[in-house]
Amino acid sequence: MVALRVWLADPNPTSRRQARLGQVWLGWLRLRRNPLAMSGLVIVGLLLLVAALAPVLAPHDPLVQDLSRRLLPPLTPGNLLGTDDFGRDILSRVITGARITLYIVGLVALTAPFLGLLVGTVAGYFGGWTDAVLMRVTDIFLAFPRLILALALVAVLGPGIENAVLAIALTAWPPYARVARAETLTVRNSDYIAAVRLQGAGGARIILGHVVPTCLPSVIIRVTLDMAGVILIAAGLGFLGLGVRPPLPEWGLMISSGRKYLFEQWWVSTMPGLAIFVVSLGFNLLGDGLRDVLDPKSAPK
Amino acid sequence: MSLLRVKNLRVTFETENGPVQAVRGVSFSLGRERLGIVGESGSGKTMTGRALLRLIRPPGRIEVDAMVFDGQDVATASERQMRALRGRRIAMVMQDPKFSLNPVMTVGAQLTEGLRQRDRLGRADARARAVAALQAVQIRDVDRVMAAFPHELSGGMGQRVMIAMMLIPEPDLLIADEPTSALDVTVQAEVLSILDRLVRDRGMGLIFISHDLRLVARFCDRVLVMYKGRIVEELAAADLMAARHPYTRGLLNCLPRIGGPRGPLPGLDRTGAWAQ
Amino acid sequence: MSLIDIAALSVTFRANGRTVRAVEGVSLCVQAKESYGLVGESGSGKSTILRAICGLAPVSGGAIRIGGTDLPTPRGRAFARSVQMVFQDPYASLHPRHTIDRTLSEPLAIHGIADSDARVSRALDDVGLPRSFRFRYPHQLSGGQRQRVAIARALMLEPGILLLDEPTSALDASVQAEVLNLLSRLRVERGLTFVMVSHDLAVIDHMCDRVLVMQHGRAVEELARDDLAGARMTTVYARSLFDASADRMLGDGKGPPG
Repeated sequence: MVALRVWLADPNPTSRRQARLGQVWLGWLRLRRNPLAMSGLVIVGLLLLVAALAPVLAPHDPLVQDLSRRLLPPLTPGNLLGTDDFGRDILSRVITGARITLYIVGLVALTAPFLGLLVGTVAGYFGGWTDAVLMRVTDIFLAFPRLILALALVAVLGPGIENAVLAIALTAWPPYARVARAETLTVRNSDYIAAVRLQGAGGARIILGHVVPTCLPSVIIRVTLDMAGVILIAAGLGFLGLGVRPPLPEWGLMISSGRKYLFEQWWVSTMPGLAIFVVSLGFNLLGDGLRDVLDPKSAPK
Repeated sequence: MSLLRVKNLRVTFETENGPVQAVRGVSFSLGRERLGIVGESGSGKTMTGRALLRLIRPPGRIEVDAMVFDGQDVATASERQMRALRGRRIAMVMQDPKFSLNPVMTVGAQLTEGLRQRDRLGRADARARAVAALQAVQIRDVDRVMAAFPHELSGGMGQRVMIAMMLIPEPDLLIADEPTSALDVTVQAEVLSILDRLVRDRGMGLIFISHDLRLVARFCDRVLVMYKGRIVEELAAADLMAARHPYTRGLLNCLPRIGGPRGPLPGLDRTGAWAQ
Repeated sequence: MSLIDIAALSVTFRANGRTVRAVEGVSLCVQAKESYGLVGESGSGKSTILRAICGLAPVSGGAIRIGGTDLPTPRGRAFARSVQMVFQDPYASLHPRHTIDRTLSEPLAIHGIADSDARVSRALDDVGLPRSFRFRYPHQLSGGQRQRVAIARALMLEPGILLLDEPTSALDASVQAEVLNLLSRLRVERGLTFVMVSHDLAVIDHMCDRVLVMQHGRAVEELARDDLAGARMTTVYARSLFDASADRMLGDGKGPPG
């Protein structure tokens, strides 16, 4: 363990891998010093853990109905968070719902930033007509309120979890394109880009090897901060009955179906709502902490 | 009587790798004369200048045995007392007017701001004083400059405005931190001659911080050479060629000279005990 | 026949409806293995000429020829193997997220040159950097060390011509001496042709055989080194530049220059 630390902290790395891992290690040390970011990391970590171990952790089957045990309040023995209107254990449904949330969030995080980065860096680097056309397309997507656009897309694609993910991803990429383009414009005239152009590098090599690594921190930070929004949009779609279909325990859907009982049996909607709140908060805190780590200090003097 | 007396000044910064000492025990005194502080980057010269005005914020820390300006103890003065000193009795001119002038205020507004707020002068009086200050730094087109924004001025003009601004309240001590480093060579000469005349006419003390040893030697009466936070040599400017410390000699010799030999330039030998 | 031949070069920048004539009708020739200096103050257009040679500035008139042939636009790979540039700011000319190894091996990868491992090690040796620096990042190096990496990078493709844009103006005096010595040594060892830009006449005098003084985008006067050292310039501007920057330690005592 100590040997690994020494290896990571070596000021003269002997391989590319060691150098890169060393930088990641330093970033981790810096993140560790930020208590809010660490709590965000813990929350996100818990989400991952719960999602991974959902079948083991859930005390009951989330889909099995038991109409004799409907609408039991929290802290009833056997149902820590109570039961919903079909007698299903809410705790189990929240735990299993974590998987669905993670699935949605993960897929969006893997697709939308890539599309945004590609569009933004190409537009920023080449300028001229390419820039104008790509940015107008981006503007069109940005002009619609996100939920409305997602709704429209789901209406076209049909309900279902994959379509919900696709719809959300298609609404999420424009901000990344904007961020990537802004960074690219800053970087485009710098000396190191001029140097590699002078070496005879083509546009693809410059964009992928030089511009994208510089834009990546901003995009990563933006992604973590957007995660909260993605969860909420998925919840919104679920709430409206589009996207995920019952009886899947998606958190937004759970809030929606508990609507009728909001005043008397408040726990049916509130528990999944709290789950969304906690996870969104976790991603936000983590995103803030990542910004401190990735941006100012690792930037050159 | 000495205008400024500093004893054992230390400036420390807390970084993630532990404390870093930017200034390690600097002591000097200054009368109504010109003192040059010379050093390379990392020598602590800028930090020394900032510390004199207590302009160092956490994570930086100033520790000093004694820092006395004209009889007043600066080391333990309250922030309110420091504010009364800064600008009014001790002024500072910095390197790049692009960064030290407010970009969204006209020059006239910046020049008169201090006069109107601090000295409570009326608009006409303040403007007259500002115009006089600009004329003192040999700006001819005064009306245009008063109405201009900093980015509309050339580097040399901006620096002259900066000097004018700093000299309006008639301070006793001027700290100039690399005032001509961002300027072209011919403009440097002009700005320095203006500074020279103003300092001489008003009998001010001047601390001139620079990395350019020869420039400082021509312009100042005494020179302090700093390296890694310490003063390695203190001597009269006229005696600079006879400097004895290896670092000073190294600095003098490593610069190329017009008409000088074309062989390799002598480097700096950093193995001496003084380099630690 | 001169190696670099610039005839009546003009460079005009157009942005936001304003035109800036950075270079107007400048002509010069550089012989093979010569060290040619461009000196002037800010706005003189000296750096712009270097960028125009590299194809990084919009040429609006005149011609640039290297080895007698016109330069293709875009410059292309063959150009990269004959002309390279060292930039002014060592903090900005290396990619902050690439290791030194990556920065040095990239030109080899672009041109499909094998044996990059040995070449990178040799390049580090040539510029006097320890091999243990190979996988460091730029922010772990000092300014002088970064500039050495920039020089090593420029020499990876073994060009015959090296363009130097104020290579030492961002460095401390003692570090400048080391870097200038390195450049002089490399020039002799590899028979390079230098075109060096600086605002510092002393540096130009030390490094260059001939000098072109520029002002406001125009060529003012061309001087041989001996004429510069002997203060035999004929134009007023060249003389004012000389007076302002001549070694201030020699001659009269106190008082500001000029």
